[in-house]
Amino acid sequence: MATNNPSQLLPSELIDRCIGSRIWVIMKGDKELVGVLKGFDVYVNMVLEDVTEYEITAEGRRVTKLDQILLNGNNIAILVPGGAPEDAE
Amino acid sequence: MSGSGDNKVTGTTKTPADFLKSIRGRPVVVKLNSGVDYRGILACLDGYMNIAMEQTEEYVNGQLKNKYGDAFIRGNNVLYISTVNRPLADGA
Repeated sequence: MATNNPSQLLPSELIDRCIGSRIWVIMKGDKELVGVLKGFDVYVNMVLEDVTEYEITAEGRRVTKLDQILLNGNNIAILVPGGAPEDAE
Repeated sequence: MSGSGDNKVTGTTKTPADFLKSIRGRPVVVKLNSGVDYRGILACLDGYMNIAMEQTEEYVNGQLKNKYGDAFIRGNNVLYISTVNRPLADGA
């Protein structure tokens, strides 16, 4: 499947495969974002589209932003391809 | 746009650098790590996410707190920069 090494999937490859699909971004604090991944760079700053921002404290879906955002990679903790479970549009 | 090895997406890949080039002059929302929101017209920005904005409004907890003719934000504080097409809707 992979090149010469037996099934070595680089993290950047995994993110790259996610371009064009929904991704769930979990930040260091109590914040998460779900959106369509348009691109990213070596610092894992991410360009996301059609983003929903979640504050994970008082059970609140906060702001739904349209168009595109540039998310600073500094505070990103986890990336989950495919979007969030309760991601109902 | 970027012709890398495996081209899954054709022509719609947008790297952060492309994004930054395309948003000057547009109304944006800038959210800081502190949670404070700034909405205004993006004058310019750089690769550190340092931002200069005009006609800036400062929102704390969703409430308008201040208005600035010109604002400069140091990039290390920036959580995200978002363009706005339609008026934002809170909650659902």
